[in-house]
Amino acid sequence: MSNKRKATKSSKAAKKSSKKSAKKSKDAPTRTARAALSVAASGRQSAEDRIEALYEVPHVVGESESNLESVLKVLRNKEDPIEVRLTALQTLQAATFVSGEYESWRSDFIAALREVATDADAELRQRALGVLAREKDGFAQKKLIEGLESPEKALVSPEKALQLLSNDVHTDAYSVARDIVKEPPNTAAKREALRLLAADATAAPLLEKVVRDKDEALEVREMAAGALHTTQPEKLQKIAREMLLDESESDEIRTASLMALTQFGDPEQVAQDETLLKHVNKLSEKAPKLIKQTARQFLSKYKR
Amino acid sequence: MQNVATAGSPSEPQFAAMVDALSADPARRERLTDLLREDHPFYEQRGASTVVRMRGWVLLALARAGLTDSALVYVLEELDAGADAYLVAAAARALRTYPNPGPALAPFVVGSLRVTRYHDEPLSFESYGEYAVASSDTSAVRELLATLEWLGPHARAVLPEVEALRADRSGFSRKRLGDIDRAIEAIKGDGRAQAPGEDDCCRLPAGLGDVFSWARGSRRDSGEVEEIVFEDQDGAPVKFGDFLRGQPTIVVFFYTRCDNPQKCSLTVAKLARVQKLLEERGLDGQIRTAAITYDPAYDLPHRLRAYGQNRGARIDAGHRLLRATEGFDALRRHFKLGVNFVESVVNRHRIELYILDAEGRVAASFERIRWDEGQVVERAAGVLGEGRDETEADPAEAPLATPVRKSSTILGTLASLGVALFPKCPICWAGYLSLFGVAGLQRIPYSPWLQSVLVAVMMVNVGSVWLRARATGRMLGFYLVSAGAAVILALRMLPGWEKGAVLGVALTLTGSVLSVLGTSRAFSFNKLRASRPRRRTASSEH
Repeated sequence: MSNKRKATKSSKAAKKSSKKSAKKSKDAPTRTARAALSVAASGRQSAEDRIEALYEVPHVVGESESNLESVLKVLRNKEDPIEVRLTALQTLQAATFVSGEYESWRSDFIAALREVATDADAELRQRALGVLAREKDGFAQKKLIEGLESPEKALVSPEKALQLLSNDVHTDAYSVARDIVKEPPNTAAKREALRLLAADATAAPLLEKVVRDKDEALEVREMAAGALHTTQPEKLQKIAREMLLDESESDEIRTASLMALTQFGDPEQVAQDETLLKHVNKLSEKAPKLIKQTARQFLSKYKR
Repeated sequence: MQNVATAGSPSEPQFAAMVDALSADPARRERLTDLLREDHPFYEQRGASTVVRMRGWVLLALARAGLTDSALVYVLEELDAGADAYLVAAAARALRTYPNPGPALAPFVVGSLRVTRYHDEPLSFESYGEYAVASSDTSAVRELLATLEWLGPHARAVLPEVEALRADRSGFSRKRLGDIDRAIEAIKGDGRAQAPGEDDCCRLPAGLGDVFSWARGSRRDSGEVEEIVFEDQDGAPVKFGDFLRGQPTIVVFFYTRCDNPQKCSLTVAKLARVQKLLEERGLDGQIRTAAITYDPAYDLPHRLRAYGQNRGARIDAGHRLLRATEGFDALRRHFKLGVNFVESVVNRHRIELYILDAEGRVAASFERIRWDEGQVVERAAGVLGEGRDETEADPAEAPLATPVRKSSTILGTLASLGVALFPKCPICWAGYLSLFGVAGLQRIPYSPWLQSVLVAVMMVNVGSVWLRARATGRMLGFYLVSAGAAVILALRMLPGWEKGAVLGVALTLTGSVLSVLGTSRAFSFNKLRASRPRRRTASSEH
């Protein structure tokens, strides 16, 4: 939790600096990219000036070895203020889009990201791991799974680790995600574990159990339903029907079930389901507002 | 990191220690090759990144121990279609220990370089599972360039392509430009090394290929998989026995979540090209195609359809994308699929295409190395043609039989009849003359010159039966005819045993008839390792 607080603090600092810098850069006289890079790399300049300079250089980062190296050095330098390092990362990320030669410096960028992925600053770690995870980087996946299996090694929160791991369906994390669903450290982690398990068809029975569990939090049941829809849409339709007809279910769940049937129901099957149609007709006349509205949408789709 | 693999599988550190021990022991090094099989149980229930670490370590062990012929195909496969920088780099490093560098290897290296330059990354080979955090370590591009340098003049055929990559520079780090220059200099050599001949430049070393064919008689029945139920891209159920029998079928395996563009996506796009070639040759109604997913639980009909359509595949009753709703494990066993899984998700697979005959049996397969569309169509047409041979097909379908094969059949038939009916002794002459109403044995001259005519005709027969046997894979007829010829020749040389030549005549006649009518089911297992087709150049690369 302390990591999270630190991350929020440094993130706020960086945003504050960037707003100031953006305002200041409007008024500042134009300077060359070389001069801006020189300011960005200089430890003698103020953090605010360096951040402002970093915002000016994404388009020249890939132009030469020295340009790239000067920004990577800022990112890696543990002595530099964290808001400057975070801005250096942002500049490099921007450069991957604006620089036509990203592939030529990708290797150096990946090496730097791996290095800062274990940095003392929580936000820098999380952002570096985020970029790496989207690249399906083996190093990042290994570190994230290690953190889930041994919380003392965790570089990010379990929910963030699971979210990042779900970038790659070929991940090693299914086993640990199942464990987290069974014994979650918090609701967010359970929700992210269910999201990850959406890719694994063998998790369907577990997902079904969570969807049907009336003691489970609404957001968790909704996530499990969404995950089940990925590989077993027919099964989800059946469960949604049952839950909609179940008067003991909460209004939220019944509304969500009705929405699922409206969006993803098999039109042929629904059209022949007299019990369901009668029930929805009834809901469209007498039910809490949200259910009533959804029931009307359902009926307009299925023409009743 | 905990081991999440199945019980009985080694943990990653145990696996690494085992690989190290194998590479250090010359008597057991060959076992390293077995560890490169995708379906090896050690890779079950491992994530793709873990599989990369494990396979990479095996390739590096091969690099230490020296690459053997049996492992070469795995290295070339990685260079041909590999997407992971670590595996590509390890394969390139392993290739440099191959004792027979040759021109055939160069297109694989430069092909990989063309692709890998866009997703290079820093790598460390120091210890198992180590990831580089400094750009000063090696990289896939660096290893590939070192391998080109190692090939030297053997890579002369790809020199223009390497020079074009140097001129383009796209994707290359500035640090690598010096490595490219060194590779170019090494390829150019000192001018004394002889450039490889055109024919040599693009062929794999002898004995290595990606195409395997099975003679009819040795093909495995589809009994085990007959009852497997598939669902096609429209959700229509179909049994293996119903769709994959009656006509030859070209079958590819893929899955829609594959993130290697050189594999599944390209496979289905190439299948679309195969369908067009079949159409151009008028074979589209006679040869089916099927793309079967490795990932049946996720690849629901709408995903199959979208995936096929987006890659230009023709989709109709004869060309379908299928998922096994029941019996995928049996399907996996039947085809010996080169695939493994983490939970229900594929963690690694090879490229594989099968040609099934009209009885649903595997007649040929194309594995690991990317296949050539024209070669696949040619092979499928051959399988269709072999069916024609047996059933004396409809004359309307005659264009499928090549002139060579037709003339071979006619020649063989005539030669067989000639040998069988040739008058070989005075009694034969008597029989013939009696048949034509001419009596009187004293009028029959015995002509010794007929002996040499007999031998010549017999050799023609043996030759034509051999040609037909090689083409169809039915060897029994050839064996009988050869035995018959040997018996006739041997017994003619032994005074007093001439009458025994009747046995030879009987063998010759039986063998010839079997060969022509095709009633035999061959004994032979003909594992054909065909030469690899020419590698594509940059301009024709997908």
